[in-house]
Amino acid sequence: MTRVRRGVVAVVVLLSVVLAATPSTVAASSVTDQLIRRLNRQLLYMAVPIAVLVEIILIYTLWRFRGNDEPRPTRENRQLEITWTVATALVLLFVGTASFHALAHPSVSTIDGESSDVPDDAVEVDVTAEQWEYAFEYPDAGVATNETLVLPENRSIYLSITAEDVVHSVHVPELGLKQDAIPGETNLLRTELTGTGEYRLYCAELCGVGHSGMLSTVEVVSEDEYEAWLEDQRAGEADNESATDATNESSGGDEP
Amino acid sequence: MIGAVPGIVLAVALLGGLAAYLRVQRDPPPAWYADGGVISPTVGLTRTEKPSGVLRWLTTVDHKDIGLLYILFGTAAGLWGATDAMMMRTELLVPETVVWNVETYNAVFTTHGLTMLFFFVTPVFTGIGNYMLPLLLDADDMAFPRINAVAFWLLPPSLVLVRGGLISDVLGAVLGVLPIGVGALLALEPVSMGWTMYTPLSTEMANPQIDVTLLGLHLSGIATTMAAINFIVTIVTERPDDLGWDELDIFSWNMLVTSGLILLAFPLLGSTVILLLLDRNFGTTFFAIEGGGPMLWQHLFWFFGHPEVYILVLPAFGLISLILPKFCGRRLFGFRFIVYSTIAIGVMSFGVWAHHMFATGMDPRLRASFMAVSLAIAIPSAIKEFNWIATMWNGSLELSAPMICIVGAMSTFVIGGITGVFLAAVPVDLVLHDTHYVVGHFHLIVVGIIPLAMIAASYYWFPLITGRMYNQRLARAQATLLIVGAFVTFVPLLVLGYMGMPRRYAAYPAEFVGLNQVASIGAFVIGVSVVLWLVNLVQSIRVGPIVEDADVWNLKETGQFTREWQWFEDRIEKRRAERPLPDDHTGAESEPSEEATDPEKPD
Ligand code: HEM
Ligand SMILES: [Cu+2]
Ligand SMILES: [Cu+2]
Repeated sequence: MTRVRRGVVAVVVLLSVVLAATPSTVAASSVTDQLIRRLNRQLLYMAVPIAVLVEIILIYTLWRFRGNDEPRPTRENRQLEITWTVATALVLLFVGTASFHALAHPSVSTIDGESSDVPDDAVEVDVTAEQWEYAFEYPDAGVATNETLVLPENRSIYLSITAEDVVHSVHVPELGLKQDAIPGETNLLRTELTGTGEYRLYCAELCGVGHSGMLSTVEVVSEDEYEAWLEDQRAGEADNESATDATNESSGGDEP
Repeated sequence: MIGAVPGIVLAVALLGGLAAYLRVQRDPPPAWYADGGVISPTVGLTRTEKPSGVLRWLTTVDHKDIGLLYILFGTAAGLWGATDAMMMRTELLVPETVVWNVETYNAVFTTHGLTMLFFFVTPVFTGIGNYMLPLLLDADDMAFPRINAVAFWLLPPSLVLVRGGLISDVLGAVLGVLPIGVGALLALEPVSMGWTMYTPLSTEMANPQIDVTLLGLHLSGIATTMAAINFIVTIVTERPDDLGWDELDIFSWNMLVTSGLILLAFPLLGSTVILLLLDRNFGTTFFAIEGGGPMLWQHLFWFFGHPEVYILVLPAFGLISLILPKFCGRRLFGFRFIVYSTIAIGVMSFGVWAHHMFATGMDPRLRASFMAVSLAIAIPSAIKEFNWIATMWNGSLELSAPMICIVGAMSTFVIGGITGVFLAAVPVDLVLHDTHYVVGHFHLIVVGIIPLAMIAASYYWFPLITGRMYNQRLARAQATLLIVGAFVTFVPLLVLGYMGMPRRYAAYPAEFVGLNQVASIGAFVIGVSVVLWLVNLVQSIRVGPIVEDADVWNLKETGQFTREWQWFEDRIEKRRAERPLPDDHTGAESEPSEEATDPEKPD
């Protein structure tokens, strides 16, 4: 009995250590990120203890019954089978429900770009991936660039994502954003950014030799800076149409 | 230019034929003492009916011979794929692409994936099934011995076709010194479109080797399907009357379900690949943007692709369920539930394919339903794990080499399985999809379970197949090393995925370097352990102590001396009856510490 008790104490201590070590809340940088992070944390709170528990039971079984002199013949136990089936089902039901709540949020579920309209006050950017760089077009502002994706914080963002040649994927892990860029299709990625900063944008779908160089940056700035940036772009574009292409270095477009 | 190819093929065939002929001519009648002083462990098998030498292996339709051919072929392909893996992990030691170039990295992960999935895992399991199923079922042979042979012999040419780029380069370089055109050979580059072959990338890449690879995949699909049909028919019709479904062993059950999946999934891959071939060469528009569209490929591919992952893993589950009880000294707990769970996985595996496509922008309602089925399929998987632990509970565990492999596989399965649940949860998948998290997740299964189950089987049945014993201490060390290596390699990848590092990246931002180096070191540990396994077994085939007592694992004591071991015992008895054993010959070449009749037992 004491052995069992000692085992329980060990398990509880270990669990608390593990829980303490799981990622704590870092300020989320977008609504999407916040939702996904919260869900991920909920899942970790279940998954880590379960994983640790099963591993401990496995190791404990190994240790306790190794070279056991009095093995007992296997006796079927339907009740036990049903118990753990139902228990697993309940855990997964929780996973499903929690995920469904996050999934249903507009910031998490992308939608078909053609059939939906963008609200007037939203920032709309057309993101087009092409081997091996991105073009960012701001149709409302009449600005286009392929250097960085500059976005204002605290406004609805609508990114219409498509590709010219092959499948790419717009992946900004720190903002919780991912949407495949598929030629012939446009998909709308919706979010709202809650913190300024620079975030790396990766291409996450194999698209040929330049794939691992197909990086860019998302720069989240305040509303004022955003307007100023748009002004600059418009002025710069009028001066020199092709300058952006020549100085572009972050997108890996110089890959052969 | 093309004219050079048939010439080469003819020359190779001619030389091969000549060598085989000479070999037959030269082969002396087999001696009793085939290995010079030590009695041959395989004497009295079927020796007298078969031709000898190379011809025997080329013409054999004996399920055991074909099984061995499959195992050898699969192992060789696995070692080739592992070499690719070592090349990748070497490149990833540093953030920049300095070891190889980007083209090579992209080619190597593509051929690694294709080789491992189509030419390592399934052939090895087919081989184990070929050797063992008829013995387990008490059948004379497989239902269609000749189809069996054809199915095997289609595989080596398929592998050559799939991996053509490299082979043709080497061949071209060698033949380049001769005054013949080798341009056609040099034009073939190793393929680099990823094992998923997404269109339009795979239609737009010019490399003609892609077409050759697609043909190779088609051919290997035919071979795999033929073998699967053979298994199904064998299991259904070749059982003796007194062996009912309720008494069918667990490995045969798993092979049956696996074969069913193959029968339904592989023809789809074959047709899809042909559609791609037509798109590439004949201007059809099945997957063109203005035609069927890129998403059609993804749906067709993953409708095959998801069952494929269960095709890979179910035989491993079967081996674990079969071997584990032998070292627990008691029967498998919940046999019936394990069988049900296998069937449930088989059925459900056809309803989850779109979980590979959550990031493509599918309708959210569709995503939710695929998420539901994907979560549901975790239930039968968990049931297996729990039943295995319950089998160990109250048993008498013997930590032999096969058992270490199995417990290791059970421990990686916990992590590999739970990380899969995160990927089924759509929102979490959105950030993890196509990152190294996915690579870590599936390698915990494809490295942490599949090879471990195979190695467990190799250690478990090695005495039965070769009549010799291997070094068990080395085997235990090797198994432990492999488990440690798998964790060290693939758990860091999970973290890298959370940090955002995408997969299939030849170069990566510098902040990821630390964990990548840990993973690479783990990979080299895996590499070392694979070499130890190989050395141990090859050396033991040559000079390992000969097994005189068929009950190598003390199975009689616990009433688990199953049919295949009975067959082995009969074989040994027969050998003894044919020719009494000269005592002084036993163990002449083996180490003094290892008794031939009593293989080393764990303490
Ligand atoms: C020997 C240990 C192994 C190591 C160290 C290893 C390592 C790797 C690495 C580094 C990648 C590429 C990651 C990336 O850049 O995306 C990869 C991809 C892959 N591996 Fe392995 N691997 C091993 C064994 C296996 C086995 C046994 C299988 C299958 C049964 C397998 C199947 C795959 C597949 C399907 C891919 C994806 C290929 C693709 O992206 O097209 N690997 N592996
Ligand atoms: Cu790309
Ligand atoms: Cu890419």
